[in-house]
Amino acid sequence: MAPLEKTDLLQGTLDLLILKVVALGPVHGYGIAQRIRQISQDVLQVQQGSLYPALHRLEKRGWLAAEWGESENGRQAKFYRLSAKGRKQLASEEQTWNRLAGAVGLILLAEQ
Amino acid sequence: MAWWKRGVRRDETVDREIADHVARLTEDYVAQGMTAEEARRRAGVEFGGREQVKQAVREVHLWPLGEAVVFQLEAVLRFLRKAPGFSLAVILTLALGIGANSAVFSAIDTIVLRPLAFPHGDELVRIYQHDAHGRDANTFVAPQRLEDWNRLTSTFAGITGYYKDDLSELSGPLPEKVTLGLVAPRFLAVLGVAPALGRNFVPEEEHWGGPAVVLISHAFWLRRFHGDANVLSRKLRLGSTSYAIAGVMPEGFSYPDRDVDLWTPSAPDAPFALRRDATWFSVIGRMKPGITPSQAAADLATVQQQLGRQFPKPDAELTTSMEPLKATVIGDVGKSLWLLYGSVSLLLLIACTNIAALLLARTAEREQEIAIRFSLGASRRAIALQLLSEVVGLSLLGGLAGIGVAAAAMKGFHLLAEQLPRASEVHLNWTVAGYSLACAVATAVLCGLYPALRATRLGPANGLAAGSRGQVSSRNPMQWVLVGVQVTLAVMLLTGAGLLLRSLDRLGHVDAGFDASHVLTLQVSGSWGETTNMPAVVQRIDRTLDGLRTLPGVEDAATTGMLPGVPGKYQNEFKVDGKLDPARKVLGESRWVSAGYFSTMHIPVLAGQPCSRASTNPEVLVNRAFANLYLNGTAGVGHVIEPAVHGDFEATGTVRGIVGDAREEGLNEPPAPTVYSCYSAPNPFPNYLIRTKGDPMAMADAIRKRIHALEPARSVFAVMPLEQHLSDAFTEDRVRTMLLTVFALCAVGLACIGLYGTLSYLVRVRQREVGVRLALGAMRRQIVGRFLLQGLRVVAMGSAAGIVAAAGMSRLLRGMLFGVSALDPVTYASVVGVILAVAAIACCVPAVRAAFVEPVKVLREE
Repeated sequence: MAPLEKTDLLQGTLDLLILKVVALGPVHGYGIAQRIRQISQDVLQVQQGSLYPALHRLEKRGWLAAEWGESENGRQAKFYRLSAKGRKQLASEEQTWNRLAGAVGLILLAEQ
Repeated sequence: MAWWKRGVRRDETVDREIADHVARLTEDYVAQGMTAEEARRRAGVEFGGREQVKQAVREVHLWPLGEAVVFQLEAVLRFLRKAPGFSLAVILTLALGIGANSAVFSAIDTIVLRPLAFPHGDELVRIYQHDAHGRDANTFVAPQRLEDWNRLTSTFAGITGYYKDDLSELSGPLPEKVTLGLVAPRFLAVLGVAPALGRNFVPEEEHWGGPAVVLISHAFWLRRFHGDANVLSRKLRLGSTSYAIAGVMPEGFSYPDRDVDLWTPSAPDAPFALRRDATWFSVIGRMKPGITPSQAAADLATVQQQLGRQFPKPDAELTTSMEPLKATVIGDVGKSLWLLYGSVSLLLLIACTNIAALLLARTAEREQEIAIRFSLGASRRAIALQLLSEVVGLSLLGGLAGIGVAAAAMKGFHLLAEQLPRASEVHLNWTVAGYSLACAVATAVLCGLYPALRATRLGPANGLAAGSRGQVSSRNPMQWVLVGVQVTLAVMLLTGAGLLLRSLDRLGHVDAGFDASHVLTLQVSGSWGETTNMPAVVQRIDRTLDGLRTLPGVEDAATTGMLPGVPGKYQNEFKVDGKLDPARKVLGESRWVSAGYFSTMHIPVLAGQPCSRASTNPEVLVNRAFANLYLNGTAGVGHVIEPAVHGDFEATGTVRGIVGDAREEGLNEPPAPTVYSCYSAPNPFPNYLIRTKGDPMAMADAIRKRIHALEPARSVFAVMPLEQHLSDAFTEDRVRTMLLTVFALCAVGLACIGLYGTLSYLVRVRQREVGVRLALGAMRRQIVGRFLLQGLRVVAMGSAAGIVAAAGMSRLLRGMLFGVSALDPVTYASVVGVILAVAAIACCVPAVRAAFVEPVKVLREE
């Protein structure tokens, strides 16, 4: 399937995706982009121009914590992990998303 | 960490993060089998613009860091560059409004509102005695009575008094005139001041025959002893007495006035001080804490009644009164200052209105720009923030300029108003400056922000639609109202200034009844101590006068107790031919003049003879007003006039002649019935009046030399032309008029800026409409006329309102006017004329510019 255009990504969805991916374990910026792509089976591709501002925004809000650490290949990288506040935020956003998706699904399933 | 360091650190971090990302991307491509070169290129392309990413991250962190300030400052600078004329108008307006307001209110605060420089200055009062029948204008108090008051009253912490004497100090190489304050006991204690160096007088020095000591003023200490710390061991020689120096007073202490150099005790128990009818002291008292002035006045009145029973003559004839000391120090200046404050507040109001009008016009003009930015995705907050910083930036620049203006104005005030009371204490008050600044900035912010919010709320579609319609006249009324209000206020100020200017002009052209030109005035030092031998004083003064009259270049010379035309009154009640008519009081101003006075002053003798040079009999002359009122006109020569109450100064004598009416009591006062006593020595240091052939000041040296030859031990002082005295006497009027005129001109200037700005704005937004009209064949003349008419209509309405308001307010000016009515039609007409003319010019420029719009160009832009 062709990747979705950036604009098709619902506003606010990127934050949810990042929080979810980071919840799986500490990861650097490149890793986040890769994981989103892999897990979505190449449907979702995050642009760097959106990714980094989003990471910094989430860090500033206190949902992500970041620290510099050594990565598997021995290079320094900035690792993001979920804070307690972020975990709560993720739960709430997941719930909202599911309700929204459910609602949209219901409408689409309506019989003609 | 400083915000900018934090910013730099973050930028570096983002750099590393991006580098790491690109490196991993490259590695992945290499792993997929690309060459290192190809992989790096692909990674670079895929990542895209690093700078954009960095900028986006930066913006995440932008607010509330200081970078925002820098960013906004850049916006302000951009704005200043883009609209220099508009910015300058706003800054100038603010500078004038804030500057003038701060300066004038600082002066009011110091002179009127702040208490005297003495501790608990509100407790200090001046105390006067009055003749119960109003027959004698003298309010000075005998030393004995002063001591009685001090002892018998219970509401005063202390009562003391002073008088001044001019002496020659002889311990230096040349005699120097010094002014001595002779003070009753407790002087410094009542004022609550202590010497800065040395000590106060001790009780034995305040008794007759005690050691002779003086306290010296700070200025005298610097002038005479160069601030020598060992001054307490030095002596001063006044007349035949040598005085020890007890102490130096603090800087700024100058009571009763600035020219006092020395203070010495005046012993109440001196043999010549025992007369209860002596009139010596100006009395001041300090009320006990918590005592109200009315309690103190009642207490004093009771004590005086008691003294009246004890000493029927003269105490039973005397009543007392008092007023706050501050009131006597500032006199009527307070009234002038409040007038100025009112005017300058109007000016601030105009300034604020002007800023409002300018900003409204400016922002309305930018509505399209705002709408475009809005539709391009700028947040409402960002737009509001930008508009706000522009306005705040302008306000701060204007505020700074305003404080500069205020500081300069303070300098000017010191130069101009040297003669006014407490002027030297006036300094810029930062609280006031802050208040004015806050007012102006608040106006600017409100007026700048309101349209911004409106524009953003309007939504991009509406804003753009409104912009392209090319017809925005529906939004003009508010701006025109503001311009109209400015014109109204400017007319009010200009009318006030006009009335004062005409008064001053009238005062300059008044027929004084005497000729002040070519008259030099001076005084020769003398001491009250000499009055024990009055014939000798008279002889000395007559000898000096004779010496002056024979000097080449001198036409005539005379002495007088009070300078003609310098405000001052001394009204007494008189008996005519020994009779006192209880039904009709004979009241007249008393003046003491020497022989030669009338010829020196060019006052005509209408009947009889002027004062004779060598008369042994007491002589008086009266002016025409007195003769007409009380003596059957010119037939009055030969009547005998004497004061109803005999005091220290007596004006008894046969009327020798009748002279023309002269404005002796002040140029602004019509001549009052006056009795001139022919007496050359009303005091030991009378004013000399010397009529010269040429410039009086050119003769000053020769005259000084002649007096020095006659009186080597005396000093000559206060040498200046009589015209200078007359002009000094009206310093307050002049300063007031000048300041009000300056304010009025500023107001007119501001109103014109407002008018010009508003009309220019209107012309610009209606450019397209004008273009269409011109293309359809409208005459340029018509276009100019339309715009001109629109501006002038508002001016005419503003002027009409201004005239009505000015007529209503002119009552405030009544006491300050001379020779013109508060509703003087000439002034009102001129004001309207000036305003209309200036406004027409201000309107003409944009109106003509509108007419020279190139229709083709404008329509193409469409």
